Amino acid sequence: MDGIAAEEARTALDAADRARRQVEQEIGLPRGYWWAMAGGWLLLGVLGSEAPRWAAGMATVVFGAAHTTLAARLLDGRRRTGRLQVSRSVAGHRVPLIVVGMLVVLVGATILAALVLDADGAGHAAIWAAVLVAAVVGFGGPEILRVLRRWARA
Amino acid sequence: MTEPLFDELIHPSTRLSLMATLTAADWAEFGYLKEQLGLSDSALSKQLATLEEAGYVTTERRLSGTRRKVRARLTDTGRTAFQGHIAALQEIIAEAAGRPDGS
Repeated sequence: MDGIAAEEARTALDAADRARRQVEQEIGLPRGYWWAMAGGWLLLGVLGSEAPRWAAGMATVVFGAAHTTLAARLLDGRRRTGRLQVSRSVAGHRVPLIVVGMLVVLVGATILAALVLDADGAGHAAIWAAVLVAAVVGFGGPEILRVLRRWARA
Repeated sequence: MTEPLFDELIHPSTRLSLMATLTAADWAEFGYLKEQLGLSDSALSKQLATLEEAGYVTTERRLSGTRRKVRARLTDTGRTAFQGHIAALQEIIAEAAGRPDGS
């Protein structure tokens, strides 16, 4: 066909595949999302420990509502940067599940850390647990998501 | 099933990578494409203009702050042509695999 050798066709397909994989690397959430999440985590930790129960409850509801609003736009992982928008067919539909799963595990980790710190006699155990997990979310959120996506092949 | 159709316009490696990138994205900014493909401003502009002339790509200028940014996206015609070209390349490989010398 058109005088193209199989080797040349293979090279062309490899180049196309490489370009697609480069776009796949762009799947993720904006850096600001992770820092906002870390800030929220910290705030909820402080309120949960220091504020009256009703205030902590309200803050949790507001945080959840704000996240849901953001999630509708960002959780599909197609808008990590403002430089391109990954197509739906490349991003797939599992990224939101992975992010939500990751957040649920981190909530569990916060509770566990608070219990361990409390049992160890640390003051303000809930705040320290929130600081710890907020740091993990803020600094490591994008990398954790990348690893989880690889594991889930999403 | 996409009909294999070899496309001379898409086949050069730079344009093939450009089309493959745009196929995987809803749109991409000029700066991103330039970085990924390792092209100069003028070289990328030329490639985009060629593809735009063929009706494979559209570009739009958007104001971002004080700067104008160019976004490129694939048209339906471009997507069909790219898929047809990929199918044609796969067919060439499959035919060669069926030949005794494998070439």
